[in-house]
Amino acid sequence: MSAQAATVLTYRPPRARNDATAWLGMLLFLGSWAMMFAALFFAYGVVRAHAGDWPPEGTPRLPLLLPGLNTLVMGLSSLALQRALASARAGRTAQVRPALGAAIALGLVFLAAQGLLWSRLWSAGLRIDGGPYPSVFWALTVFHALHVLVGLGGLAYLVVRSGDHGPARHVALRLWTGFWHFVGAVWLVLYLSVFVI
Amino acid sequence: MDAAELKAYEELQPIHPDPASFLRRYVFSLDHKVIAKQFLWAGLIFLLVGGTLAMMIRWQWAYPGQPVPVLGPLLLKNSGGVIGPATYMTVFTMHGLIMIFFAITPILIGAFGNYCIPLMIGARDMAFPFLNLASFWTFALSLVLVLCSFFGQLGAAGAGWTTYPPLSTNIGTPGNGQTFMVAAIFVTGVSSIMGGINYVTTVIRHRAPGMGYFRMPLTVWGLWLTAILNVLFVPVLGSAALLLFLDRVFGTQFFIAGAAAVKGGGDPILFQHLFWIFGHPEVYILILPAWGIVSDILSFFSRKPANWYRGSVYAMCAVTVLSAVVYGHHMFMTGMNPLLGQSFMLLTLIISVPAEVLFLNWLRTIWRGSIRTDPPMLFALGMVFVFGLGGLTGLYLGATVPDIYLHDTMFVVGHFHLTMAAASFLGSLAAIYYWFPKMFGRTMSPGLGKLHFWWSVVLITLVFSGQLIAGYSGQSRRLYDPYQYSFLQHLRPLNQYTSYAAFILLAGQFVFIYNFIHSMVAGPKASDNPWSVGTLEWFTTSPPPHHNYDRIPLVLRGPHEFADPEVRHRLGRDWIGQAEVLPEVAATPATLRGA
Repeated sequence: MSAQAATVLTYRPPRARNDATAWLGMLLFLGSWAMMFAALFFAYGVVRAHAGDWPPEGTPRLPLLLPGLNTLVMGLSSLALQRALASARAGRTAQVRPALGAAIALGLVFLAAQGLLWSRLWSAGLRIDGGPYPSVFWALTVFHALHVLVGLGGLAYLVVRSGDHGPARHVALRLWTGFWHFVGAVWLVLYLSVFVI
Repeated sequence: MDAAELKAYEELQPIHPDPASFLRRYVFSLDHKVIAKQFLWAGLIFLLVGGTLAMMIRWQWAYPGQPVPVLGPLLLKNSGGVIGPATYMTVFTMHGLIMIFFAITPILIGAFGNYCIPLMIGARDMAFPFLNLASFWTFALSLVLVLCSFFGQLGAAGAGWTTYPPLSTNIGTPGNGQTFMVAAIFVTGVSSIMGGINYVTTVIRHRAPGMGYFRMPLTVWGLWLTAILNVLFVPVLGSAALLLFLDRVFGTQFFIAGAAAVKGGGDPILFQHLFWIFGHPEVYILILPAWGIVSDILSFFSRKPANWYRGSVYAMCAVTVLSAVVYGHHMFMTGMNPLLGQSFMLLTLIISVPAEVLFLNWLRTIWRGSIRTDPPMLFALGMVFVFGLGGLTGLYLGATVPDIYLHDTMFVVGHFHLTMAAASFLGSLAAIYYWFPKMFGRTMSPGLGKLHFWWSVVLITLVFSGQLIAGYSGQSRRLYDPYQYSFLQHLRPLNQYTSYAAFILLAGQFVFIYNFIHSMVAGPKASDNPWSVGTLEWFTTSPPPHHNYDRIPLVLRGPHEFADPEVRHRLGRDWIGQAEVLPEVAATPATLRGA
């Protein structure tokens, strides 16, 4: 390579370019899945706009406190994961797995709290076939929880896979972090629109 | 571009060794070319299934209540070969769903998207080969669900291809055949999204050096825009299918209303919104690849550059954007506010402007060209013809006032078959005849190809024109026996002639099947560039090696460099490759004198 070419060329190493390609793919996937959730929330809006009273007479109310705390849990989990990513980028490889573990633990707490919420409402008589109000609640929360489960699977894979999460090999961590933030953001919208409003 | 930069491109897409085992090579292959062929086979087989179902519908409209010849004794033993009313519902439902999601989509997008995008942009494979494999096998799973639906209790899905509730809920279609089909739509949607993500990323990240966006063949443009629409709008269909599935299986009430619902209930019209927010982009998802392919083929076989290449690109982009905001024209008759209907009408009719730009570009491309009438060119011209008919009839339906009369008649059926079925079908065949030598390394018989073309294009026009006329005379679509209405009884001869045309059309396809299979096994070996075209895929072997290109090509010019006097002077031919270096020769006064 001539000296001149060496100064002119600004090509990043191929590894970084591949990582950028993977990240673009993840962004497209999240954009696509955001359309899916947007359509589901649109459906919820239409059903609710057509309903007379919401929630209908004699239907148990959705609690605010437990899912509200769960929103915080989900946010903390995202923060922990972001910390894992920052550690991997900075080369502090020893700190990656503990932060990942914290994110997973908080994700499990979230699912456990959801389970508690479901069992309480189920025993209070909120059955999935009891009309549009429970339809919205069960469909959205369970579909969201399935995404949490997939995310936890991905994070667990990152913990058990061999080798360190260093600056040169953090792309999988970056992708799963993107997915996890997305799942958290969907939960925030879900909490605000289904529980709060 | 110097050696170091080219080296960076090579390192980005290293050559992987050919897979050794049979499974890795032909079944669970990561190679975009093998996956393309898998989609092609799946699509062609289901095209035949969907076509057979179409023949049963045509029989019913010609001779309602009489036993179906040939197929009746095989498929309808219980009813003595007669298509009963419930079976009739499942026949036209499965025909529509199979043709759209499991025949045209895998052929145009699955097969040619996979085959053409990496080769035409000079890449070694898709950006995510494993995602590509997953996309095909997810699609295969949805095919299994379709087959399950055929054997469902109470028969296959029967709520129409649009699957509107309340007919598509447990109240209208209680059998699990409908449930299987709703699940199949969701699963095939996931497959489409995977493919779409792959195509969009590949075009953005893996273009060869020098392959700017405005040097991409129009085929790649069409497929890329289709992929963008797939990524954005298939998930909306996914949400509709998901909610319908929950309604059917878990008893939720998103789409159930009235007496069937408890505590208020949901809204059946909601499904129509979700369905058409996806459904209108879907019709462009199915036609954009054909537009791109035909735009290229018209240029290649007229030996002229495509007229106003950028105009075609802008037109396709404009259609892509507009397709997202016109879906309400499918719902004029649902009690929509007339003012809203007018807005949707305006937006819909605006689409005809970019469509017209594209159409005039096609005509100007072939105008005074040195036209070669090889089968790909004939099919491309046929596509232009039937698409013109389909587009013009669309104006009647896009405007609210004529739509009040024409809505839900056979006119609608004729219109969308001319665009989605005839145009996409002829576009697919143009692509098959054109890329066959590259895909299989052998040549199809041009004589049989021409026979197949004339047989198809004449009869396809007759079939769908017959539907237009029947609809204009007032025949509603989907009628089990149109002649129970006295005002439709005079249409019996028209419908019978249309049905004869359809039967002969199907018979003509066996010419293609024979040509396709015979040529694949025993056709003459194809040269690397049989059509003398300059796009990148013709500069590798036929069929290409596992890694497509030994060296990643350096692209120097656009895809339609024909009839350039300088090229003719230096190379003695009327075309030059996109990555071909024009040889330096001294000016030769002798030639100038001779000229």
